Amino acid sequence: MGSDGHSVARGRPDDMSGVALIVDDSTVNRMLLVRHLASLGIDAREAVDGKTALDLLRAQSSDVAVVLLDVMMPEMDGYEVLATIKSDEVLRHLPVIMISGIDELDSVAKCIELGAADFLSKPFNPVILGARVRASLADKRLRDLEAESAAAQARLLDTIERQKDELSRFLSPQVAALVSSPEGEQLLAGHRREATAVFCDLRGFTSFSDSAEPEEVLGLLREYHKGMGELIVEHGGTLEHFAGDGMMVFFNDPVLQPDHVVRAVRMAVAMRDRFATLAARWAKLGFELGFGVGIATGYATLGRIGFEGRYDYGMVGAAVIVASRLSSKAEANQILLNPRAHAAVEELIEVEDVGALELKGFARPIPTVNVRGLVASPESVPA
Amino acid sequence: MTDELPILDESGLAELRASVGDDDDFMRDLINTFLAEEPANLELVAAAAARGDAEAIVRPAHTLKSSAAAIGAARLSAICRQIEFAGREGRTTELAALTEDAQEAWAATVTALRAAGLTT
Repeated sequence: MGSDGHSVARGRPDDMSGVALIVDDSTVNRMLLVRHLASLGIDAREAVDGKTALDLLRAQSSDVAVVLLDVMMPEMDGYEVLATIKSDEVLRHLPVIMISGIDELDSVAKCIELGAADFLSKPFNPVILGARVRASLADKRLRDLEAESAAAQARLLDTIERQKDELSRFLSPQVAALVSSPEGEQLLAGHRREATAVFCDLRGFTSFSDSAEPEEVLGLLREYHKGMGELIVEHGGTLEHFAGDGMMVFFNDPVLQPDHVVRAVRMAVAMRDRFATLAARWAKLGFELGFGVGIATGYATLGRIGFEGRYDYGMVGAAVIVASRLSSKAEANQILLNPRAHAAVEELIEVEDVGALELKGFARPIPTVNVRGLVASPESVPA
Repeated sequence: MTDELPILDESGLAELRASVGDDDDFMRDLINTFLAEEPANLELVAAAAARGDAEAIVRPAHTLKSSAAAIGAARLSAICRQIEFAGREGRTTELAALTEDAQEAWAATVTALRAAGLTT
């Protein structure tokens, strides 16, 4: 035993993880402290001066859990050691207990202001020593647990952010945001509201894909999806799904949009314009394709649809079927509206009457109009 | 003053012995360490006193005071405390006499420790 810088005690209880570092230039004082700590089941290391102590802490900071520090020492005194520990990013949370003689109580008060956890007066009382060291170790353990839990939480938040990012690549942005929002579960569970459904697809796509090379088909679809996708996002539409050349988008859910019909019609017109640019280039390659849209407004049920393992956020109701049927009936470049959608945007669009259409599954023909274009208006496209 | 203090504080020593579970081997170990380590500090004190170096005397006097107190060497500890404070306050003229007192107290302490059977 003595100043060999190491030593002592086996069989420390589980709640006393970590060793104590004793910093004192008096060998007999260190011997006594080592002995008392050993009887408490706490291992100790020794340093004869401040500089040695800091070297030891920096090399073994992971297993020193509490420092017992004498005030007056050669090389580097207790103040300097304490100040260094408290300004060190890694060591600052180490509890430091000052060892003080009766003459040093003033200095000890200063040390506590500097961040020392407690003090221990000489001669050492093993019971007080035990209580103070245990309290400091418990403190340290609590702080370690807090740090651990904060780190775990940061990792969790990171994972959630990453999942949200990843999710938003697969779902429409509105649905991705919904899934991670506090009211998400309620909205996912299903609710009824008025909404506008938009179906669109390409005319002549089936025969094109039949005759063209697969690479050409995929290349064209990619261009088409990219162009249309940008417009869906720009107008705030929720993309429910796309299948080949067909897409279904709805408005007014999960985010409420008082102008949902206007948004739907403006998006359809913008899509038709975008399609014209694409089609002109495809025509040069010999691909003759057309673009048709069906839009219907009505009450519908919205929420989670599907089965364990695969759910979609969807819209269910007559309006969805009407929009789908209108899209099938639309000729190239037509945007067909049901009466309810038409009524909502009457003043903003120029239409032509296409008569009452017989739609499969509906007993009565549905009066339908085709959107020729938007009435010239200074208003820009809603964001 | 200090010569009224006992060389060894019997009750302090008894408490110390009790606090280590009456482990006489440890007690002897502790005292032998004291006797082996502290003469170096006493020499530093004497050298600083001979030079009249008040600043240099403080640290070894402080350490010796602290170690002496730990093993119950009451008079030696008290004299060292006086040296430490004289040094701090720059009372250079008092250092030589106090150091002589400390050397006498050291010799008496060693004798008393032997008599108490705490060292050979």
